Amino acid sequence: MKKSYKHLINWFCMALCIIALVGCSTNKDGQSNSENKDTSAKTATLAFPWSPSGLDPHSGDSWEIMRSGTAETLIKLNEDLTPGPWLAKSWKQVNDTTWLFQLQENVTFHNGKALDAAAVMNSLQRAIDKNQGTKNLLKIRAMEVVSENELKIETTEINAALISNLANPGTIIVDVESLDNEVSYPAFTGAYAIKEFNLDESLIVKQYEGYWGEKTKLDEVTIKFIPDGITRLMALQSGDVDGATDISVDNIEVLEKGDRFDVLTAKSLRTHMVMYNMESPLFKQLAVRKAVDALIPRQEIVDSVMKGKGTSAVGPFSPVVPFGQVNKEQEELSIEQLMQQDGWRKNTDAMWEKDGTVFEATFLTFPQRPELTVMAEVIQSKLLEQGMKVNIRQVENIDDALVNEEWDLAMYSMLTAHTGSPYFFLEIFYKSNSSSNMNHFASQKVDSMINELHQITDTEKSTELAIQIQEEIEKAVPHSYVVYPDTVFAVNKELEGFKALPIEYYYNNANINRTY
Amino acid sequence: MNTMGKFVLERLLQLFLVVFFVATITFFLVRISPGDPATIMLKANNVPVSDESIDALRSELGLTNSVGGQYIEWIKQIFSGNWGTSFVSQKPVINELIARLPATLELAIAGLAIMLAITLFLGISSVIYQNRTLDKIGRVLALLGSAIPTFWLGFLSIYVCSVTLGWLPSMGRENWKNVILPASTLGLGLGAIHARVLRANLLDMLQQPFVKASKARGISKNRIFVFQLLKHALLPIVTMTGTSFAFMLGGSIIVETIFSWPGLGQYVIESINMRDYPVIQGYVIFASLLFLVIHMLVDGISILIDPRLNAE
Repeated sequence: MKKSYKHLINWFCMALCIIALVGCSTNKDGQSNSENKDTSAKTATLAFPWSPSGLDPHSGDSWEIMRSGTAETLIKLNEDLTPGPWLAKSWKQVNDTTWLFQLQENVTFHNGKALDAAAVMNSLQRAIDKNQGTKNLLKIRAMEVVSENELKIETTEINAALISNLANPGTIIVDVESLDNEVSYPAFTGAYAIKEFNLDESLIVKQYEGYWGEKTKLDEVTIKFIPDGITRLMALQSGDVDGATDISVDNIEVLEKGDRFDVLTAKSLRTHMVMYNMESPLFKQLAVRKAVDALIPRQEIVDSVMKGKGTSAVGPFSPVVPFGQVNKEQEELSIEQLMQQDGWRKNTDAMWEKDGTVFEATFLTFPQRPELTVMAEVIQSKLLEQGMKVNIRQVENIDDALVNEEWDLAMYSMLTAHTGSPYFFLEIFYKSNSSSNMNHFASQKVDSMINELHQITDTEKSTELAIQIQEEIEKAVPHSYVVYPDTVFAVNKELEGFKALPIEYYYNNANINRTY
Repeated sequence: MNTMGKFVLERLLQLFLVVFFVATITFFLVRISPGDPATIMLKANNVPVSDESIDALRSELGLTNSVGGQYIEWIKQIFSGNWGTSFVSQKPVINELIARLPATLELAIAGLAIMLAITLFLGISSVIYQNRTLDKIGRVLALLGSAIPTFWLGFLSIYVCSVTLGWLPSMGRENWKNVILPASTLGLGLGAIHARVLRANLLDMLQQPFVKASKARGISKNRIFVFQLLKHALLPIVTMTGTSFAFMLGGSIIVETIFSWPGLGQYVIESINMRDYPVIQGYVIFASLLFLVIHMLVDGISILIDPRLNAE
């Protein structure tokens, strides 16, 4: 039997080897076979972690569409997040609630139709009809086409943040009729037009020849959706993609070792923070919150956990924005004095104790941002050194746990200034009656200051008041702001013009180019 | 009604009851698991959201009704052939599942082919070369196949074949080369384990009296091996292969995520993260149906291989 089957097995081995060799063959340039593309066209491939479920700009996928470089809004946020012109050439406030927008001329949608005030009005109307969040941001009562290139917008109340909010991806301008056509892709106005959308896989965009502004330097960009961070890194290393966003700080060293990649960082608009449950017996008193706040080793966390890719935080907003530049006063009292103020005494085990109960707090973290758990561990060890026992508990859904479970401390992370205005975050996070105010901070003074902020349209005055509000909030220490993390990107050195920006909307832009 | 007709009818009734039971359990389990779909969807970009937005979305998604009310509504939908609408994409669930099925099918078939090739090659060769090098290699591979976690094997294969050697694409589904690494990750481990089962069965069959009797009757070794030994030894492999194929078709969640393979597995993970209830429920019904249908087919194939099972 052995002899009869030796041939069969030999043939099988040979067949396997041939299949492997054909599959694994490389071309003359040593590139993998997936890279066999039209070499006459200038192309690039980028890896993003997010995958849109569709191409409706007024659904939950608006951010992903914006990042593809195909769509535009009336307003564009500059690097310092101040609003600048885009599809709206200029604007002026007619009265407290009325604004007049002058639109760019010679703008066409990707289907060739001209952009005019009526098309913008239809698009904005659809955005607010489809999305409650956009409706709340814009607070539009009525719109009126004044002329072919002039649109009047009237708001239901004074909306000082209207201009900034018109940069939100939820307000992308689209030819509404193109969304009804199931055969073609939606017609936007961006420098790139959609060429092909492969669900959960990739979005291929090509240069839009009729673009009203500066033309793209690349003919085509393929955006691959790679949710897993390690796969994204390896796709970059293997040459399957030329650039990748959201690189973990742990992987920076690997990429910086060779000379193939540029690692780019930008200050993000995110703040990592510790939340105090102001209704928990441990943290009801300001003195204890102040003590814990003073013990958080912010710089150590930046250096060790964030590998230097971040900044010690002093307030809710990153210093990238003007209203983020607050001063934090140094606590004058020592930890002992603060704890004793609230009746805590050190017991024989050197742990803080009050009325026979040892200080023991529950500290929530969540797995979606692994660095937060490491930060919690660093804080836990610092607090233990000072006689405070902390038990870390990881929960799957932090927002749910903050509402439904018992907790004392919690790690939290949020984009705080993505609209370019301080109002939205302060309103949602610090107003006494907001459900997002999950640690039960309540101050009538802060509430009325936030209401006042909503009425101020002058940028300087609004910035000044926003800083005052933060100083007022800081007196109560409802949160300890820990780090403003940097956003990390990595690109192949052949790619130029890829700029890391604090705002996440404009990743793929006309300036990206490939140098051969 | 003949025996086969009874068998099919019985199985269909079982299928209906099992799917209904599983779907109902899933309906209530997803609703008691932490996380509100409206809040998760609106906070997907880690931005603060207003109470008004959350309330409006909850109402739009029908989450303000009682759980009992939602269940009745869902049952009505299911019996009228409507699998619901995805919370996230606002598209019919059935369309969303069908859109991702070809990718999963492609990966499952490729994975199955690799698994079967390894099973047959290692299984047969380890009997022919019993206790020699090839048999020992098979033993080590089987041990590794059951010990190495899939995610580790996946990352290792990307690192070696894509990053270091540059032979194969690391992710995606652009052409046939993209399927090699994920399919190998799926098929290698299972193939090595199944090969050991096949080897044990073949060795067991070799001792059976009917083999000796066939030899005595002068039947050629090749005929004995293919038509008698292999036929009998394959029976448990058919069952194991059926289960493995159903598992692969259900969407191999880890492999699809690692290789960014746009199939059902990756989609269902995203849907679970987003608490997209209709998709989770639809997927569970789909996967249960798939398992049950494949098991019915496996039973049928087993009867064809061994007609004695029909009598049982």
